[in-house]
Amino acid sequence: MNRVMEKKRTGIRVYKPNPKLSKPSIGATAAKGILYFLLVALAVIQIFPLVWLLFFSLKNNQEVFNTPPLALPTNPRWENYVKVWTRGNIGQYFFNSVWITAVAVIITILLASFVTYAITRMKWKYSSLVLGIFMVGMMIPVHSTLIPLFSLFVKTKLIDKPAAIVLSYIAFNLPVTIMILLGFYYTLPREIEEAAIIDGCSVNRMFFKIILPMTTPVMATTAIINMIYNWNEFVFVNTFISSDKYKTLTVGVQNFIGQYGADWGAIGATLVISILPILLAYLVLSDRIVEGITSGSIKG
Amino acid sequence: MDKVMGDKKVIALYVLPALIVIMTLVYSPIVMTGYYGLMKWDGIGNMEFIGLNNYIRLLSDPLFWNSVYHSFLLAIFSVISLMGYLTIALVLSGKIKGASIFRKLYLVPMLLSSVAIAQLWMRIYHPTNGILNSLLSFLGSDNIPLWLADQKIVLYSVFIAIIWQYAGFYILIYYAALKNIPESLIEAARIDGASPWQIAYKIKIPLILNVIKVTVVLAVVGSLKYFDLIYVMTYGGPDGASEVIASYMYKQAFRSYNFGYASAIGFFLLLICLVITWLIRRLTASDEEIQY
Amino acid sequence: MSKKGFSLVLILTMLVFSVLTGCTGNNAEEVDNSSEGAKIEDVTIKFMYLWPEGSSRQQNMIVNEIIDAYQLANPHVKIVQEVLENEQYKTKLQVISASNELPDVGLTWPAGFMEPYVKGNRFTPLDDILTGGLKDSFVPGTTEAYAINGKTYALPLELNIVPLYYNKAIFAKYNLEAPKTYEDFLKVVDTLVKNNVVPIALGNRDRWTGSLWYMYLADRLGGPEVLTNAINRTGSFEDESLIKAAEEVQKLVNMNGFVRGFNGLSNDEGKAEFLNENAAMYLMGSWELPNFTTNDEIPQEFRDNVGYFKFPTITGGKGDIDSWVGGPGVGLFVAENSPVKEEAKKFVKFFVESWGQQAVSRAGVTPATAVDTSKLQLPQLYIDVLNDLGRASNMTLFADVQMSAAVAQTHLDMIQSLFGNQVTPEDYAKKHEEALKADSK
Repeated sequence: MNRVMEKKRTGIRVYKPNPKLSKPSIGATAAKGILYFLLVALAVIQIFPLVWLLFFSLKNNQEVFNTPPLALPTNPRWENYVKVWTRGNIGQYFFNSVWITAVAVIITILLASFVTYAITRMKWKYSSLVLGIFMVGMMIPVHSTLIPLFSLFVKTKLIDKPAAIVLSYIAFNLPVTIMILLGFYYTLPREIEEAAIIDGCSVNRMFFKIILPMTTPVMATTAIINMIYNWNEFVFVNTFISSDKYKTLTVGVQNFIGQYGADWGAIGATLVISILPILLAYLVLSDRIVEGITSGSIKG
Repeated sequence: MDKVMGDKKVIALYVLPALIVIMTLVYSPIVMTGYYGLMKWDGIGNMEFIGLNNYIRLLSDPLFWNSVYHSFLLAIFSVISLMGYLTIALVLSGKIKGASIFRKLYLVPMLLSSVAIAQLWMRIYHPTNGILNSLLSFLGSDNIPLWLADQKIVLYSVFIAIIWQYAGFYILIYYAALKNIPESLIEAARIDGASPWQIAYKIKIPLILNVIKVTVVLAVVGSLKYFDLIYVMTYGGPDGASEVIASYMYKQAFRSYNFGYASAIGFFLLLICLVITWLIRRLTASDEEIQY
Repeated sequence: MSKKGFSLVLILTMLVFSVLTGCTGNNAEEVDNSSEGAKIEDVTIKFMYLWPEGSSRQQNMIVNEIIDAYQLANPHVKIVQEVLENEQYKTKLQVISASNELPDVGLTWPAGFMEPYVKGNRFTPLDDILTGGLKDSFVPGTTEAYAINGKTYALPLELNIVPLYYNKAIFAKYNLEAPKTYEDFLKVVDTLVKNNVVPIALGNRDRWTGSLWYMYLADRLGGPEVLTNAINRTGSFEDESLIKAAEEVQKLVNMNGFVRGFNGLSNDEGKAEFLNENAAMYLMGSWELPNFTTNDEIPQEFRDNVGYFKFPTITGGKGDIDSWVGGPGVGLFVAENSPVKEEAKKFVKFFVESWGQQAVSRAGVTPATAVDTSKLQLPQLYIDVLNDLGRASNMTLFADVQMSAAVAQTHLDMIQSLFGNQVTPEDYAKKHEEALKADSK
């Protein structure tokens, strides 16, 4: 282990292709063929929901329920999108979703990184107790929290303010975020810190200059997870927000649910519109999962 | 070293902000849930202290234990499916052409909200024109199951949807963990003639064991308090056949106006999660932390 | 250096927090300004309802017009709206009631739904605005569904009955006629099954949908009182006719009377079978009338083919053909602790007075206030339903609304079991009896 670390610290990376592996046997080729077939099949299955959703959004209720799910809409109903844009404040919801999600994700990851760093790297008596406290935080069912949180927000005058949902998202995502970070922080080499401290580096500097960049991949991972959760959340929004101007995109979906039935095509169109921004953000963040390692090890 | 890393002020600065947030927003509801659990309360008007009566009722409520059983089944299924997720992540993290494209595609369903996922699976399971049954009747099967109406299979139908729903989440975590392993280590093993399987089992998996432990806890806790798809797809029915703890609790709290009783269920659920997490951590405890 | 880096992040974090809370401060001030502004008597009425602009456009428009009209006539009143979807609405109403933060005016359902709100002293009695002629404008008997201990706590906006809709084209194809007796009805079902046509559309995942069938059978067998008496505890659920009704349900299921897999289908999916002409009949509330008359999304040919008949009578049964399952739906309440209670009551009165005619002619809602059909241009199907409503000999409120919320859950679960052949009619009745007994304690 130490030997490897030595190499890593000096930035030298061993990379020698193995000559034995460069000429694959027939069996290996066949195995690879099967593997690729499976991979492609799985990819098709996984991409199918997006295609389905797109088709779904171009149908009306009649077609949604009566045609096979993957049938092309015979008469694409683009008016569903027009309906979505003209009925209700979807533009406002969109804007709110973006900034609320972004703020909550950034704060959550920053706070969780602080805590994880303190728990895994620093020496103090109560570190496992504090870890326990955070872990218990993910065991409470969301619906148990609604009444107490509502009354808390009423008392603190945060009710019907974006702060109420941002704070809730942070609080309820911290435990999972810390848990995921934990597994990675345990594997960070201590030698880097030792060297840094010998060089007279402070904890703060070390955290921001060394640790955070090294954990970019896992931060990207938790960012994706947090983002998806916040983006799709609606129970807190509905409960803590009354003013239309603070509501988010998930409310846009409910706009098309009626007392005795729903407008499914319009719901589909809302879902398509609302998936685009996170799809984009996901693709960007997804690359950071891999890129981070190289940049991390260079800095290390 | 210890002096620097044991600086109380720094530790406080790092831990306190998050701790304050979680104490006010998560622990106050936990305490209140415990408190409501001792009350006879409809969740609307006035409450009345009834001691442990809700918990006594809980112990002899067959519908509750039915939901507990289903939730535990889900937890078991989820933990087993972790192996599948891990396998996919292992393949993707290997030297595969187009791995990054596959990875991106595989995780796409994760972006969908549960509203969309529920609709999708309801279309798949639809008894007459659903994808699954169309396929089965095309293949000539005349014993076509009623995926969501048959009380014997509805639970498993929903489980499949849930396991699919979470695939992206766990594959993503595993993938990030695997990519975190220095390439040099794997290269070294390869030079020594290790097969991809050996590399996976002898090097990669042991090195991400901490992450795997975390995902086991996440899967178990997540399953025990799972709610979304079950409520949207089946309401826990037909007649409780797919009821889980969280859906039963929700109905008791907001449909039957037994908020006090529901709080007792919520608190009990918290305790179950605590005990199981403690057990998992005890069973998987190891002395050394793995570093690369 | 290092301290700088750290404090930078700290400041950034603080900044974000202060933006969030800063927002808060500003907004609070804004609200204060508007309420403490120039005129002292200015009031703000908070109104929460469940007709989003997207799915319930007409209702939403009518509500907004009523509000505009009221604000115009009363310039000192400002009405603030909050709109939620049905399911979320119910949950939120309870959460905010627990903190005693109900809106000044909101919507409630009658009987079992509103009972805890009244017991918890959350709604205020509205009897004082009912006097002076308003009461007479309601269809007789409707406000009673919102009365507890002699006081009326909400004013109904909707009144629905449940006709048995059928597809005239399918009936004509197999030479069938709308049945008058249950025996004829069973023959219709039998003929359709033999011709591979699904007789009845049903989405029983939602459970209250199947409950409608059970309720009618109970009524036709045992008369209008038997179910109501079992629920209000003057009778027993183990009454012979209530067990017999359960047997009839299973008989119908075993004849393949209902669409395949009904227990796993939502009402929307069940309904689709009828709308797509796969199923010949559909038992549902009069709220579906727009889909069969004015909704342009549904093909004209289909809409022209929809008729309805009254649930057939059973030979030897005590039920009468003019006895309906149905009753008022949502109604307006005023919160007990509303700081603007009197103003809120005035608004409710105005709302109820303006709602009826608009609701039926534009949104297709059958209102709880009496409507003079001769003055309105309505599709024939509406006129027929409204006339039948006027002739009703009895109206039995939906079982899950009549029952207390806890018993309703047992009832709904048992309905699924009964339809799924998972429980015997005797056990079905016994479970109900036990739940009702436990609840009345």
